Amino acid sequence: MNTSINDEPRKNAIVRRRAERVAAMANVRTWPLLIKIFLLGLLDALGIYSLFILAARRYWLAFIIVLIVGLLVNWIYWNNKGLAAKYLTPGLIFLVVFQISAIFYSGYIAFTNYGTGHNGTKEQAITALMQTSLTKVSNSDTYKISVLQCNDKLSFLVTGSDGVSKIGDSDTPLHVADGISSENGESSSVSGCQTLSFNDVLNRQNDILQVKVPLSSNPEDGTLQTSDGQTAYVFKSSLMYDAKSDTMTNTKTGMVYRDSGKGSFVSATGEELVPGWRVNVGLSNFKRVFASNDMTGPFLRVLLWTITFSVVSVASTFMVGLFLAIVFNDPRMRGRKVYRSILILPYAFPSFLSALVWAGLLNEKFGFINQVLLHGADVPWLQSPTLAKIAVLIVNLWLGFPYMFLVCMGALQSIPEELSESAKLDGASAWEIFRYIKFPLLLVSIAPLLISTFAMNFNNFNLIYMLTAGGPTDTSTGMNIGSTDILISMVYKIAFVGADRDYGLASAFAILIFLIVAAVSAIGFRTSKSLEELY
Amino acid sequence: MFIEETNPKESSSWIQHSKTNVLRWFVRTGWRHFVGILSCAFAGFPILYIVSASLNQQGTLISSNHLFSSITFDNYVKLFNMPQQPFAEWYLNTIIIGLSGSVLSVFLGAMAAYAFSRLRFYGRRVGLFSLILVQMFPQVLSIVAIYLLLSNFGDVFPILGINSRLALILVYLGSALGVNTYLMYGFFNTVPKEIDEAAKIDGSGHARIFFTIILPLVSPILAVVALLSFIATVNEYAVASTVLVSPEKQTLAVGLYEFVSQKFSQNWGLFSAGAVLAAVPVVIVFICLQKYIVSGLTAGAVK
Amino acid sequence: MSAYINKQGILKTVGVVSVVLIALSGCGSSDGSQQSAQTGKTASTLTIWADADRVATLKDVAQKFTDKTGVKVNLVQKDMGSVQQDLITQVPAGKGPDIAIGQNDWTGVLATDGVIQPLELGDAQGDYEKIAMDAFNYNGKIYALPYSIENVALVRNTKLAPEAPTSWDDMVATAKNAGTEYPYLLQVGDQGDSYTMYPVQTSFGPFVFGQNSDGSYDSGKLTIGDDNGVKFAQWMQQQAKDGVLSTSMSADIALSKFEQGASPYLISGPWNISAIKKAGIDVAVDAIPSAGGQPAKPFVGVGGFFLSSKTNNKIAATNFLINYVGTDEVQEALYNAGGRLPALTSAYKKAIEDPVSEGFGKASENGVPMPNITEMSSVWQYWNAAEVSIISQRGDAADLWGQMTSEIQDALKK
Repeated sequence: MNTSINDEPRKNAIVRRRAERVAAMANVRTWPLLIKIFLLGLLDALGIYSLFILAARRYWLAFIIVLIVGLLVNWIYWNNKGLAAKYLTPGLIFLVVFQISAIFYSGYIAFTNYGTGHNGTKEQAITALMQTSLTKVSNSDTYKISVLQCNDKLSFLVTGSDGVSKIGDSDTPLHVADGISSENGESSSVSGCQTLSFNDVLNRQNDILQVKVPLSSNPEDGTLQTSDGQTAYVFKSSLMYDAKSDTMTNTKTGMVYRDSGKGSFVSATGEELVPGWRVNVGLSNFKRVFASNDMTGPFLRVLLWTITFSVVSVASTFMVGLFLAIVFNDPRMRGRKVYRSILILPYAFPSFLSALVWAGLLNEKFGFINQVLLHGADVPWLQSPTLAKIAVLIVNLWLGFPYMFLVCMGALQSIPEELSESAKLDGASAWEIFRYIKFPLLLVSIAPLLISTFAMNFNNFNLIYMLTAGGPTDTSTGMNIGSTDILISMVYKIAFVGADRDYGLASAFAILIFLIVAAVSAIGFRTSKSLEELY
Repeated sequence: MFIEETNPKESSSWIQHSKTNVLRWFVRTGWRHFVGILSCAFAGFPILYIVSASLNQQGTLISSNHLFSSITFDNYVKLFNMPQQPFAEWYLNTIIIGLSGSVLSVFLGAMAAYAFSRLRFYGRRVGLFSLILVQMFPQVLSIVAIYLLLSNFGDVFPILGINSRLALILVYLGSALGVNTYLMYGFFNTVPKEIDEAAKIDGSGHARIFFTIILPLVSPILAVVALLSFIATVNEYAVASTVLVSPEKQTLAVGLYEFVSQKFSQNWGLFSAGAVLAAVPVVIVFICLQKYIVSGLTAGAVK
Repeated sequence: MSAYINKQGILKTVGVVSVVLIALSGCGSSDGSQQSAQTGKTASTLTIWADADRVATLKDVAQKFTDKTGVKVNLVQKDMGSVQQDLITQVPAGKGPDIAIGQNDWTGVLATDGVIQPLELGDAQGDYEKIAMDAFNYNGKIYALPYSIENVALVRNTKLAPEAPTSWDDMVATAKNAGTEYPYLLQVGDQGDSYTMYPVQTSFGPFVFGQNSDGSYDSGKLTIGDDNGVKFAQWMQQQAKDGVLSTSMSADIALSKFEQGASPYLISGPWNISAIKKAGIDVAVDAIPSAGGQPAKPFVGVGGFFLSSKTNNKIAATNFLINYVGTDEVQEALYNAGGRLPALTSAYKKAIEDPVSEGFGKASENGVPMPNITEMSSVWQYWNAAEVSIISQRGDAADLWGQMTSEIQDALKK
């Protein structure tokens, strides 16, 4: 009895297992597996190849990152669990590499003084300082030189204007040398030395640039240096760098410049050597945004206009788009396809080009709008601060309503007809049906898109830059901003325009913008509850 | 009512009727045409202006105010005959980069949307929300980071460095997960789960379900997202101008803008012609996908 | 069950092994390409950034240089609008060019950012126009090999005005007799254009900064706000009231108006001459007459070749610039391609045999180099904005000009 009782389930279990096995074997089909092997193999090939190169160049950080990511990807795809990871990983890798890394980079820069005068590393700054401090002695003769290789040293062989040939290297001042043979009156070779051909010179450019032949045993006389391998002049350097004490000394005045810790060499009297270099400055960029008088005011003013601009843009495009969608939602209407195709044109047209075209259309004296549509009126569309704002909003309406039109059209069509039919039977008017049934349903589906459109407009750099460039300029602020500047175009100007570019400050602004947009969007999502259904 | 309308015998009151008919027609659909014509005028006049300027031989801002005062295709011909501005190559690059970029990002986005819609995992809700948030970071400043990144890539893989079209496509894939994923996620949710269940019982693996069952069912939203990302790619200037340096590798946005920004005045006509041609692929893609787009957009979120 | 596991296991093993195989074969095949890339690097290559027109012109001389020295020259076509920013970003990252074409007013910013280095021209320095050398002189060092000189002058439609005007009033009277829409065309644009307006401004007296004895600018001496400056501001406002000056008059529109014969005179530079000639208009070029009583001094912009501070090819680059670009042949070729006068004196002398170029050359004789000091950028900003405000009648000219002066002073103090 016991056995018979046990036997039945066991039999069933065996049958089931067999079925599962068959199913599983059917499941593991050959072709998909081959494709998977091929793709992963390709990926690993690239990965291992880059590991070799990274190791050869000793980029260890990159090496470790590639190694970890590579192992992770293989683990994810050879693992039976973590199905979600298999679907998310490809997109996430691109997201991390190209978007999140850029965000982190900006985050890092926001804490530095990266900008004009602090543009590179300390080494680069020292090199640049040495390059610029090298001054040709004003009455220096032109020395025709040949570059020689004597033993291990590079030497200059010089024929002076008096016809006397001399030789010297970085350690040995210029002196008359024996065994100089001359050709056509110019000395060209020295016994024990090998004359470098021009090609040799080019192959050893950087070594030759380092050669400084003292003119005499007195260092005050300066050194012979060449920058073309054929002629040399007497140079003196006005700055000396001492690596041990990490100081720059002016050889003429004796003034000592020390690393101030703020990315430049500064003298005791406060004089700063330019260029400096990039250093971490902590929170000072953020402090400047909020605590300096000449920045906080403009920032808040631009912020206000940015919010106005984005909100009005979203509202106007949505209202126009929705209205048109309702108008064209009647199946009895003919030629809807034609209308639809025309209405989509502003969206299809490359937007950076349309903004330029609009700038032409809105020209005060010669533009199409004033000249033709308004019969010669001189409306200062882009010159008056108020009208420029209105013009920006109109152009953005033109650019943006087709998208909303499409979106609303789709949303309206997906609302089941039965809902409005039954409401109609209950005696609801067309307006009531729209107000209480269709619109709420529509809003549920469109709210996330409205929020992302808001975020997009918040950062709508192209439109502002191409249409008004932020203008008309408002000089009252002390910053280079205009009436139509939104935050992102202001950030662009701080980072890339003029001679006082401040990339660190711009990055701090970018982080703030990001926080603002993210906060507004998060609130928006919460309010619309559009993501609630995820539960 | 309809019988009256279609009955020709009552000719005595025909005029009377036609008047009320016009009124009725206007109330029902006529006003819609009125709105349609008005809105088309608003949408269309700048386009008309550009088309007219592109056909105008003089090709200056002032001369373009008289719409279609002269019609010649010189500008279009000339556009393809500038050795330093290889317009044909820009065009081809734009289409290649736009198409491959949008197809790949639709694919990546669809995979992610499938995971969010069908699989249950830790951090799903926060994950979807974060994807949307990350895309809100202002791109203008990312350019320097992207430049540094790609030039380092180029040291290891020259094909992924600066001035590579492939590299640009990869950069665009960085924004494949974002609002578009959300759009797709909504649509995926409308596909009944029973379909997956049935397929699973039939012994299909997840990959098979995704590729052969789900993807065909959600094709409308795939079309929509493909169009949106195609438009975004064609329009993109900032990153493209950083990545693509040599003229024969640039896209229309980069080439055309740099071309006009230098010599705007002389090139107004040429620029207009270029702009008209640049819009053509998008319009074609739109018209091809029109029937999907109307049903595809946002359909998912309303249950 | 075990069979199933085995089968899965086998498949997986096969999978992993094949992945490794593909990976290894990938490496094997890529090794060769890497080697060839490395051997390619040993021969040095000069990378030069230039705009489209210049790239086309420099191709010949680049080839000649390669034939002679074996150094390859890689001409990279760049948009002029992005060269300055790209140098600032890319040189510190070790990616920039060896040589880049640019404008002399970039010198200050580029040197402050440490991305360019002084160029030792040696004896060749005397072969160039003095103003070209002054233009690239920053803190006593020459930072570029100049190739072009450009400035605005009075471009005259010879059909409408056969004779050069003897004075500003004569110019206006001639235009009136010709019955044209405008007495003269002077671009302003939405953003203002104090560069083009500068010769008119200087005819009233004021420069922006005082100059040191060696010709360089002294940012400590701001002279723009003196009485002469106010007079100029009032003149501008009057001209705007009369409808001559307008922010709608952008560079493009001024040019097309001139091509349509809306005025016999256009204040503009050599870059527009080819378009004007193409439109079938015969032009002559003269110095700009004085509107305020003193000589009109235009800004003279100089184009040149900058040397990157991080170049590994300094000797090759210096040779290429001094011995190849600094020759009559190349300077003339660049002149023929762009219409801007050459900076090399011998080529310059030859170029001004052409009457139009001679006109521009004459107009530049009074000129001053475009300031290259970094302080200039905030000056431009307020200066342009003030001119726009005055021309759009947003207040009293003297007030607006005074406000601008104090704003510039504040900005310079920072």
